[in-house]
Amino acid sequence: MGIIRTRMGDGRAVELTVDDIRADIQAGTEEAADRGRIPALTGNEQEWLVELFCRPDRVVGVEQGHEVVLTDDGSVNALYGAQSSSGVGVPVSREMGIRVYERAFCMDTMEVGHPDYSFKPVRPIVALEQQAMESTLLGTIIPMYYGAMPNLALYARPDGPFPNPADLLPAGRIADARIAQEEAAEVCSRDMVYVARKMWEVGADGINFDTTASAGDAEFLATLRAVEQVAGTTGLSIEVGMAAEFVLGMHGEVEYQGTRLAGLYPHEQVRLVEMAGAHVFGPAVNTNTRRSSPWNVSRAVTFVKACSQAAGIPVHANVGIGVGGVPMCETAPVSMVTRASAAMVEIGRVDGL
Amino acid sequence: MTEQELLDAAKAAVVAADEEKAIEVARQAVALGLDPLRVINEGFTPGMRQVGDLFERGTMFLPEVIIASEAMVAAVAILEENLPAEQKEKQAGIAVLGTIEGDVHDIGKGIVATLMRVYGFKVHDLGRDVPLQRFVDEAKSSGAQLVGSSALMTTTMVGQKQLEKLLKEAGIREQVKTMVGGAVVTQYWADKIGADAYAENAQEAVAKALELVEG
Amino acid sequence: MGGIRTAGDLVARMQLHRKMRLPEAKAYVADRLKVSTVDLSDEVIMRELREELDIGVITSVPGAAKGLAAKARIARLLDIRVNSVDVLKEKMELGS
Repeated sequence: MGIIRTRMGDGRAVELTVDDIRADIQAGTEEAADRGRIPALTGNEQEWLVELFCRPDRVVGVEQGHEVVLTDDGSVNALYGAQSSSGVGVPVSREMGIRVYERAFCMDTMEVGHPDYSFKPVRPIVALEQQAMESTLLGTIIPMYYGAMPNLALYARPDGPFPNPADLLPAGRIADARIAQEEAAEVCSRDMVYVARKMWEVGADGINFDTTASAGDAEFLATLRAVEQVAGTTGLSIEVGMAAEFVLGMHGEVEYQGTRLAGLYPHEQVRLVEMAGAHVFGPAVNTNTRRSSPWNVSRAVTFVKACSQAAGIPVHANVGIGVGGVPMCETAPVSMVTRASAAMVEIGRVDGL
Repeated sequence: MTEQELLDAAKAAVVAADEEKAIEVARQAVALGLDPLRVINEGFTPGMRQVGDLFERGTMFLPEVIIASEAMVAAVAILEENLPAEQKEKQAGIAVLGTIEGDVHDIGKGIVATLMRVYGFKVHDLGRDVPLQRFVDEAKSSGAQLVGSSALMTTTMVGQKQLEKLLKEAGIREQVKTMVGGAVVTQYWADKIGADAYAENAQEAVAKALELVEG
Repeated sequence: MGGIRTAGDLVARMQLHRKMRLPEAKAYVADRLKVSTVDLSDEVIMRELREELDIGVITSVPGAAKGLAAKARIARLLDIRVNSVDVLKEKMELGS
């Protein structure tokens, strides 16, 4: 076992020695520990990862009995979508696509979602989406979410009515930028709650607030408030999936239950998500394209392990293109997707992916 | 206060985003007859660099970065008044930035624009969903040394390759350095299309931009 | 876990409806199904059991419970409320 063929964070193959891999795994976990102020992986865990990356197998898995729940997000966009959603362009309807996910891909849950995949554009066509949900529920067995992104950026000019913080902040108009984000967050929250309640009415099992906080801390607040309201008025199962490993401080001062949201890492995010009333949390850890996959997986798993330990609700880690240690490339190498997944289960102790 | 203590205080004032303190330190430096350029380069600039690092780690937030940069600008203005004439109004460079046509993602590019301004660049931020020809036209009319493009989708990143071609056709590719960034963009992609630099995050974008214009 | 090929959907339901972490969710489902937690991911065991319990199977079997019918049986088996089943009962004025 001299030279190991593995991958870089952008997917390209790279040949490393076992010592290189060991050093990258140590550096990756230490980087996460330093950033998140969380424990690094233990020596045994690091050695487990070394062994994982040195295995000659193309595809790896978890121990029998350690299987976890697989939750899909993005609906069937990957199936019928075009390149912008990494879709393969199979000409099937949403409902057919979902059946394929249930009966051929054997997913444990699935979701109905619109190709636009944001709550704002769904609001005016919610009746259409309700019917898609109703129709899907008639013939499927696995739990069915409705999924979309809060996408606070859609509420700012030129796409929405509120001034754009990206224009105001560079101009030094900090107070105006903050007010704009707070107002946009209220409307965003309202759209999320509206769509969720409509889905509850027609029988959906859950609502997935996906890629949360992509526009920063105000979007995270909008989501937490929406979670509270949906949990208080429906029986929907609520999943909150994140956009990145820490909450970007575009506002910088918004708080939830006395905790400032900007800069929170997954183990801190999950506590608030749980407090708001959500049922499942999906942490996202970004992939660094210039570091190796051993570095990225080790780093991602360190964050997720701390998150799992802090959580009182199920944790379903995001493992996909550019997150969770998976390389940032459209045709992600299966060797790294399976290694990242196995590490999330065996060391990250996730409840699902 | 010793010179070193003053440099430390300059750095601390920027990191604390304390404009009043930064101005006070700058005035003290002038009163003590210290070399203004040294105070900028060894006091305030390292402070701003630390601010960038803290932002990149999620422990300092964008509004605070703006306030810190304002503190630095105010302090540097005082020091610049005492610089020899030939060193005044020194600008890091002129940059044209934008998100490629068809791509409405703006946040990351906006942060890069903000940080570049903080580090002394004159930035022409074209916003998002920018037609490729506009990058070329703006680079020509502004006399930019840098053209930076952002793409968040694999469907729009191909526009960065096209931009390289358009800059060549316009005859200005040799006069400008190009930088690419965005969630789906990688160093490999930058190398493949012939861009001069790729940055993983905003702080690195500024460092690369400075390297390009100084190099 | 394998969805309806195994017991993945059932374990998922316990996470989604009762916020159960994975070991608790598996233990709950295993107890209701009277199998071990390892059996929950065993395609052969679960295929037979799912057919026997008539809660939906992966292949297309004429006459086997599908869609809402399977979910109604799953709700009873796991002692949980399934929203789409409740909506149907309400429509049929069966009470939930």
